[in-house]
This record gives sequence, structure tokens and C-alpha cells, in this order.
Amino acid sequence: MNSFQLLTPAFKKIKRVFSLRSRFVLWLLVGGSLLVSGVIYYGLYRFLDYVGRAPMLGETIGPLIGGLLVSKLLEMLLLTLFFMVLFSSIISALSAFFLNEELPVLMASPQPIGRIFRSRFIMMTLESSWMVIAFFLPALLAFATALKAEPMAYLIYPVYLGFFMLLPNICGGFFALLLGTFFPIRQMRKIFQFLSIIVLTSLIFFLRSLEAEKLLNPSYFKDVSQYILSLQLPLLQFSPSSWLHQATMQLFRSDYYASLKEFLPLAALSIGGLAILNFFSTRFYRSSWQKSMEAVENQVLGLEWVRKVIIFPLRFFDNSFRVIATKEITTFLRNPAIFSQIFMMSAIVFVYGYNLSILPLKDLPTLYSGEINDSLVFLNGPFIGFILASIGMRFVYPSISMEGRAFWAVKSSPVRPGKILFIKLSIYLIPMFILGLILCAVTNSIFKVSSDILFWMSFINVGLISIVITSLAIGVGTVYADFDADSPLKIAGSYGGFIYMILSGLYIINLLALEAYPMYRFFFHRFIPISRFSAGFLVTLCSLLLLFCTIAWIYIPFRKGLEVIDNYEPE
Amino acid sequence: MNQNEKVIEFSAIKKQYGNFHAVKGIDLTVHKGELFGFLGPNGAGKTTMIRILTGIIKPTSGNVLIKGYDLYKDPDNAKSRIGFVPDRPYLYEKLTPLEYFDFMGGLYNVNKNQVESKGEEMLKLFDLWDRRNELIESFSHGMKQKVAMSAAILHDPDIFVVDEPTVGLDPKSLKLAKDFFRNLISQGKTVFLTTHTLSVAQDLCNRIGIIRNGEIVALGSMSELQKKASLPGNDLESVFLKITEEEEQEKII
Repeated sequence: MNSFQLLTPAFKKIKRVFSLRSRFVLWLLVGGSLLVSGVIYYGLYRFLDYVGRAPMLGETIGPLIGGLLVSKLLEMLLLTLFFMVLFSSIISALSAFFLNEELPVLMASPQPIGRIFRSRFIMMTLESSWMVIAFFLPALLAFATALKAEPMAYLIYPVYLGFFMLLPNICGGFFALLLGTFFPIRQMRKIFQFLSIIVLTSLIFFLRSLEAEKLLNPSYFKDVSQYILSLQLPLLQFSPSSWLHQATMQLFRSDYYASLKEFLPLAALSIGGLAILNFFSTRFYRSSWQKSMEAVENQVLGLEWVRKVIIFPLRFFDNSFRVIATKEITTFLRNPAIFSQIFMMSAIVFVYGYNLSILPLKDLPTLYSGEINDSLVFLNGPFIGFILASIGMRFVYPSISMEGRAFWAVKSSPVRPGKILFIKLSIYLIPMFILGLILCAVTNSIFKVSSDILFWMSFINVGLISIVITSLAIGVGTVYADFDADSPLKIAGSYGGFIYMILSGLYIINLLALEAYPMYRFFFHRFIPISRFSAGFLVTLCSLLLLFCTIAWIYIPFRKGLEVIDNYEPE
Repeated sequence: MNQNEKVIEFSAIKKQYGNFHAVKGIDLTVHKGELFGFLGPNGAGKTTMIRILTGIIKPTSGNVLIKGYDLYKDPDNAKSRIGFVPDRPYLYEKLTPLEYFDFMGGLYNVNKNQVESKGEEMLKLFDLWDRRNELIESFSHGMKQKVAMSAAILHDPDIFVVDEPTVGLDPKSLKLAKDFFRNLISQGKTVFLTTHTLSVAQDLCNRIGIIRNGEIVALGSMSELQKKASLPGNDLESVFLKITEEEEQEKII
């Protein structure tokens, strides 16, 4: 029996999950993903093609600087990819090496410990990398097309990418093994979460500190030579991302020998890392796993006063609402994994606000500044929507799954399971709504929106988006609930989480599409006047359609969730 | 106290999972004040029946009445009369026992003061009072079982449904649990339990049903079962084995 065979139960579980899903939904999902990928691919390709030529800099210097810019962007992308997989692997390692439910049986079996470790390592690598790769693939393809890579490059590149993906997972594996050797699992979990906060928050600030916008604007630099120099310097020297970056650039330019030379350190490090990890696993994995089984946390965590303050107003509600909401808030606040996510999301929100604050709005020509500011306000709503959807995916979407196997208590009680969904919706809607409105108010003040209609419209947009996104998170989270999952992060990164994000994106596109015409009329009414009646009619029609679609987006997934939860039979 | 009052009525209950028939048309009535034991080999359908009785799963066909209330048409009234302890006590691990009681009490709309006093009484009974402020995640299986048992009694149910009450309990706790069931019966409550520990069933139950392959193969008091098995004076273990083996042989023939 080899390590892959030890993964048979996990693969069978995935197969079973897919076989239970409706074919129509699966094809719809595949189609939707391909569409989104296609849009990313084509949009980025056009952008890179333009940047690569840099026509504004002239025919001679344009392609030179443009090429360097494209190369720098690729390097940033690869660095981000590396850190994202590293972050993801840290979470998956803990789950795969220590919390997986098959482990007690495997550990009790006569299978060599190295084989068990390798099987868990494969599981962890697949878990942590597949979604990141899926999101980054269209972007990487766009780079390949923009750099006019030959077909051979497309065949070789998956090998490069495979080795590159291995490295962050090896790091994750080492972390898990190292900490497991010294700390029992509960404490280790906290340390992991603490580390993941540091890794991710640093990544966010690091990427922000790169100030990519300056690279697109040479006027930030003293002279052209300094600008070119800054483009040529690697972001992180002697790092896997810089090696892959160089190897990729050479590969896409069809210089295979030079590419292979750049790739060798990466391959050597991956193979060496695997060998060392394998060596350490045979020595330390069993003992660290045994240690992880020993200690169990038995104290109520700190921040009890926060919990008490939040649940205080609930005493004025109906008894079942009070207890269900109190339980939800209590279990939420006592889950350390949630805290790391709150920090991470706060960092993203902060960086988003910062990005908007440094937009060069002052430099816009006065004639159009009003229109441009106003159109930014219009486009800002969907961006806030994406932030809310990411927050929803991490906190709201897993909430039904987190009921876990204890859900029998609700099923056997007189409270209808559907009531749980309504209560969860009300609990999560309040912070989502407030956060959306705060983001909207802050960003509106940055844009100095000139029109009252747009000002209020932006709030209505964000309000609608937050309601739909919360309802979608509860509905889709119920339809794809995994009551056996041990961590909300794992639930958020599952198949259903992916669907939730796609659906959230589709609603935002739906909203934009229906508002596009009224906005167009609004922006250009001083240039292209049409009769008041036709404008009024079309604007009303779009608004009614938007209202109808929004109600459908709220109702249908939630209704589906209600049906599923009513028919759910706990094991 | 009307001892003939029917408190649980299963009518033609069937449960099918794909092609597998877990329960094949069971009719069963349990009366008020009975301590009814539901026995059977592994996979016979005991837990399925209990999960149907508590409304956790729906039967493929058939009906259940709880004190005259239809479990599917009037679930609020029916379910509020049942206290349930499952075989595997999966509880909300991030709560303390007292917080869990508050949650369970709220689901059954019980007054907060009643929850607190009853919860304290039960935790003291099961020697868990000193650990009332610890998270349930730190508890052993047996301790969780005791918390689940305590929570099931908070709303003072007429019917107490227990799936495998002996699993995970130490001898002292087992004796406590047995006394606790007897006490419930003396108060006119009804207990419906499943167990593999036949000595417990023999010791406690007034009436026993034996289920095999989704069908009830024997039903009655201990003496009636001994008579059916033609083993007068023998213990429940011999009677059980005889009845289930005979059924198996009849099936083969």
C-alpha cells in the first residue's frame, strides 16, 4: 500500500459529494467559472498587452519599459501566489496532520509513519493549493499570451508551477511538525492562528508597500534611469518567487536553456525540502501526533466582557431567539480561528481605504472631475460588495456547518430548524449592513461625491448588496453544509464556499448591469439629452427590474436553505 | 394517573434508505408510566426508531403520535413532551454546561429560573457542579452524557427517550442513571430506552420490545418473553439470543 492508497477514503468522500450534486448545478458552476476565468484572462491580457507596448512613452522606449512593467507585475503576482498558498497550507497542515478523523485508525495500523505522513502531506497540498491555483491560472495564462509564449512553454509551465506550489506546503508541513513536537494541539492551534495572522497581515502590508501604482507613473521617480532600475530590481532576492519569475520570463520568451537554469534552484530546494521533511516526519510525526491527543483546553477564553455586552440586549427578545442568538455569538467569539480572520479582514478593509485615499483625484482635469468622482462612487459599491462577500464567506457562510453534530438538539426540539436560519440571518445581517454603510460613508467622503442622488444611491446599493450577500451566505451555507468539518476556515474554502463567491459576484454584476443605464443617463444628461418621458420610463423600468431581481436573489437561496434544513437528517 | 393512557403510538412506520429497509412497518404503543426497553442486534433499527420518535428523521411512511399529538402535523406540541438523550452526546463544545442548559431550556421555552435550579440540581446529582464553568469540549464522553441527560430533563418532559444510556458511564454514574429512571417512573413519566446491556434492561424495564431487521419479533414483559422463548426462569440474555436466533433460522428456512 502506498501513500496515495491511504488517501482513498478522502478521494471517495469527494467523489461522493460530487455524485450527490445535481448535474445541472455542476455544469452551471463549470460554465460560470469558465466565464469568470475568461473575463479575467481577456481583461488582463488586454491590459498587459497595452502596458507591454506602453505607447505613451514612444515607440523606442515604450516596449522597453513596458516589458519591464509586465515582468514586475508577474513577479508581484507570483509573490502573492506564494504567500497565499503558504497561508492556506498553514491552516490545512493543522487539520491534515493532527485533526483528521482517519488519523486514529491510521496511527493504530501497522502502516509506516512516513507513509501516513506523506499521505497527509498530499492531502494538505491539494487542499491548500487547488483553489488558489484555480483563481490564478487565468492570470498566468494572460501573462503567457501577452508575452507570446510558444506552445512548448504551456506544456512545461505546469511542472514549474507544481514545484513552486510544493515549497509553501513544505514550509506549512515543517511548521506543523515543529510546533506539534513542542506544544499540545490546543495551544498549537492558537500559535498557528497567531502565525497565520502575522503572515497574512504582513503580506497585505508588504504588497501595499510595493506601491504598484507608482510603477505605472514615471513622474514619481527623479529620472528614467532610476525608474528603470527600480523596475529591474527583484522584490525579494533569492526567493522562490523571484526564481520562478525569472524562469517564467525566460520560458515565455522561448529561451528554454536560460529558463531551466533559473528553475534549477527552485526544483533543488523543493526536492531537498521534501527529503528533509520526510526525514523529520519519520522521527517526530508519531510523537507529535500523540502529544496532540493529550491536552485539552478547559477554560473559557478571555474577552468574556465583549460577549456579555453583545448578548445583553438579547434578554429583551423572545426566549428561543435569545438562546439561539446567545449560543451563536458565544460559540463565534470563543472560536480562536475567527479572531485571526477578523484581524485579516480588518487589514484588508484598512488597505482598501488606504488605496482609495491615495487615488490622485486632485490631478484630474476640472471639467470631468465631477463625473469621474461620481463614476468612482458608482463603481465603489461593487468593490464594497466584494469585501462584504469575502467577510460573508469567512464568518456567515460557515455558521450553519458550525452547528456540527450537535444539531440533533435543535432537530429534536419544538423549534423549527428554519427558525435557526432566520435568527442567523438577523444576527449576521446587522454587522454586515453596518460595516457596508460605514465603508460606503468613508469612501464617499474620500470621493467628495457631488450629487445627492448618487450619494444616497451608493448607500442603497451597499444596503441591497449586504442583504443579498448575507442571505446568500446563509442559504448556500445551508445547502452545502458540512456538519463534520472541524474549522470554519476549511468550510469557507470548500466547494460550497466557491459557489457562494461566484453567486455573490453574479449578483453584483446583475446589480451593475441593471443600474448601468440609469447611471449613464445621469452622467451624460448634460451632453446627450433625451425626452424626460423616455428617460423616466427607462429608469423606472431598470429600478423595478433591480428590485425584482434583488428580491429573487434574497428569497431563492434562502428558501432553498430552508428546504434543505427541514429535510436534513443528522447522523 | 391513568396508566392505560397511550403516550407513544407508532403506526405502520417504515424507513427506507435507497433500497435498504431499515424499518419495515412497525406498530407499537407505549403507555404512561412504562419503562419500555427496545432491544435488538446491531443494525436492527433501534436508533432509527428513536430518531423517528424524536423527530430527527422522518419515516418514509407511517405516523407517530405523542400524547395524542401528531409528530408531523403538530410537532411543537409533540416534541415539547419529549426529553431526548442520544447515544453519542454531541453537544455545543464551546459552551459551559450552564450555558448549554440555558440554550436547551430556551428551545423548549422553559423559564430561566427553572432552568437554573433544575440545572444545578442535575449537575450536583452527577457530580459536575464544580465543573459548571468549564467548556464542554474538555469533558469526557461520560461527562457529556451526563450533561445531555441533565439537559433533557430541564423542561420536565412526560416522555424520556434515551439511546444507549449505559455507554460511557462509570458504575457509580450508571447506578445514578438507573435510580434516576426509576424516579421518573415513580413520578408517572414514561421512559423509552434502547440498550445493548441486557442486564440493565432486565433490571429496569416493565416491557421489552425486540427488533430485528427492522421488524418487532417479540414484545411483552420479561415473563412473556421467557414464555415466548420457552425459557422460563432464564435471564434476558438467553431469551434475547434464543428469540433472535430463532428468527434468523426461520428466515433461512
